[in-house]
Amino acid sequence: MYKTDVRGKLIDGEEKSLSQISAEILAPIYAKTPRWWYITMGIALLMFAWGIQSVYITLTQGIGAWGQNSTVAWGWEIINFVWWIGIGHAGTAFSIFLLILRQKWRTAINRAAEAMTVVAVLCAALFPLLHMGRPWLFFWIFPYPNTRGPLWVNFNSPLFWDFVAISAYLLISASFWYFGMVPDFATIRDTTKSKIKKAIYGFFSFGWTGSSKEWLRFEGLAFVLGGIAAVLVVSVHSIVSTDFAVSVEPGWHTTLFPPYFVVGAIFSGFAMVLTLVTLMKKLYNMEDFITGRHVDAVCRVLVFISLIMGTAYITEIFIAWYSGSEYEFYTFFKNRITGDYAFQFWAMFTLNALLPQLFWSKRIRNSIWVVFVISLLINLGMWYERFNIVVTSLSKNYLPASWAAYHPTSVEIGFFVGTLGMFTAGVLLFFRYIPQIAISEVKMVAKFNKQQTTHLKPGHHHDYE
Amino acid sequence: MTMNKKYLVGVFDSEHTLIDAFEKALEKGVVVEEVYTPYPIHEILHGMKNKTHITYAAFFYGLGAVILLLSGMYYAAVIDWPLHFGGKPFNTFPSFIVVTIVATILTITLLTLFTFSVRAKIYPGKKAEIIDIRATDDKFIILLDQESMNVGKPEITELFQSYGASEVYEKETEKTA
Repeated sequence: MYKTDVRGKLIDGEEKSLSQISAEILAPIYAKTPRWWYITMGIALLMFAWGIQSVYITLTQGIGAWGQNSTVAWGWEIINFVWWIGIGHAGTAFSIFLLILRQKWRTAINRAAEAMTVVAVLCAALFPLLHMGRPWLFFWIFPYPNTRGPLWVNFNSPLFWDFVAISAYLLISASFWYFGMVPDFATIRDTTKSKIKKAIYGFFSFGWTGSSKEWLRFEGLAFVLGGIAAVLVVSVHSIVSTDFAVSVEPGWHTTLFPPYFVVGAIFSGFAMVLTLVTLMKKLYNMEDFITGRHVDAVCRVLVFISLIMGTAYITEIFIAWYSGSEYEFYTFFKNRITGDYAFQFWAMFTLNALLPQLFWSKRIRNSIWVVFVISLLINLGMWYERFNIVVTSLSKNYLPASWAAYHPTSVEIGFFVGTLGMFTAGVLLFFRYIPQIAISEVKMVAKFNKQQTTHLKPGHHHDYE
Repeated sequence: MTMNKKYLVGVFDSEHTLIDAFEKALEKGVVVEEVYTPYPIHEILHGMKNKTHITYAAFFYGLGAVILLLSGMYYAAVIDWPLHFGGKPFNTFPSFIVVTIVATILTITLLTLFTFSVRAKIYPGKKAEIIDIRATDDKFIILLDQESMNVGKPEITELFQSYGASEVYEKETEKTA
């Protein structure tokens, strides 16, 4: 049960009526589009255009346009794929885990986290798709009766598991997000004065009226989706880690990988959520809903996860020595901590394991711009982590004769920048056209603001969700 | 089939007044047609005596998916196209588990969503049957069917008002029967 005196109020400012809550959350949709929005959108679309050009070159010239070679066969594409998927973990992690743990403060943040998830997973999916080389034949990975034998896919291959996991994750997080928005779309339909908005949001609200029959089934649906998606959060990134761990490359072949990847994913996802909510707080004046205590709570979670990350890094290094395997030892001690890739290793270690420790300080947790910058740096650190894993292990493995270096080409850089543009554009569209905060959920918890920890009335259990 | 029906609508400003009036009305044996609220309220969902079996449905979807997926993979790997991997068994069951878990979750999600859409009648292109437009914003609405009302109209109006209804009015509307 949520104790108000422990965590403070859920909504700041003067006590809001329910219609005020709707009006304040919907304000960005009803207001004129601000100028910074157009400027940022313009930049995002330019980045996206560069991405399109890079994809065009990749499609017409093939994977040869990238910097991979027969030794380092996975480069930026796999790094970026894992990075985006990691970021995409926050939505479900936020909504599901905090829902299961009955954390009411999630209601202000879960919508943004879920929106981010959907866009990030879309960005992620592009990389393996193009990495296939002939993406127009991607459907060959579906196990269906075909004229090629029928030749089945390899059900033992982590790459196939990954395909199933990513498709499932995309569909499930998108539907979870969408159905959460249906009641809010109905609120827009019923409160807007614009006929166009009424028609459009009316269509997307699927005829929602808020009747008890609808709410009953809606809650049943949320219960089912929440319960099974929790399993999904853990399994998807575990599967991504088996892409690496099932191989015999030094630095990859470890049992630590699944938990290490899942925790890393949640870490980067929470950092990206922090980036988004600080922007929402400042750019859209959502400060009453996304209070300092919300930011504080996310920061505390990040300190904890950062400690797990540091433990994982140190465990890897320790085992590389303790196992007595000279290849493992070489990879970690000569090719990560020291050597050609020392910068990337220490960037990862500093940004992920050390920097977030600043969040122990209340002053830092309270200064929103420091939090914003640290949240961006954590995601940079998580990118370096994936660089470390993918490139260092491949570049110098068992056979010195086949050692090779890897440099991304401009096509690869353009492809990555393109997905950054796509993500930014997606988030901007979300800010502009979709209620940034789950209105009905905030209304539901609004009453916990008033009467501190006591129940509203004896005999009534207001333990919703 | 559509027809016009007469309704009595009670409008409340807060959850507590709604719950009090609703529970009192049930005590008096009033048949409540429907309650519209901006967010789910468990006392109402409980009191309306509707039940949802969506969780049971989800379980059976999952059970079906597990059986289909495992037997499908067994068919592909053992019966239809067995492959020799250095003497390993054709039925590599433990590694089938991964796909089974994820694809089962996907199946449950899609089928449960579909079930929700059918049972709650929430689907693209549906026109909302709005009784009081404020119910998705800040009002809590109790709807009574005048035909099946077993307690007199003035009595109910008084009951609602005594529990803090901000409005009680009559409404004739077309409702899909």
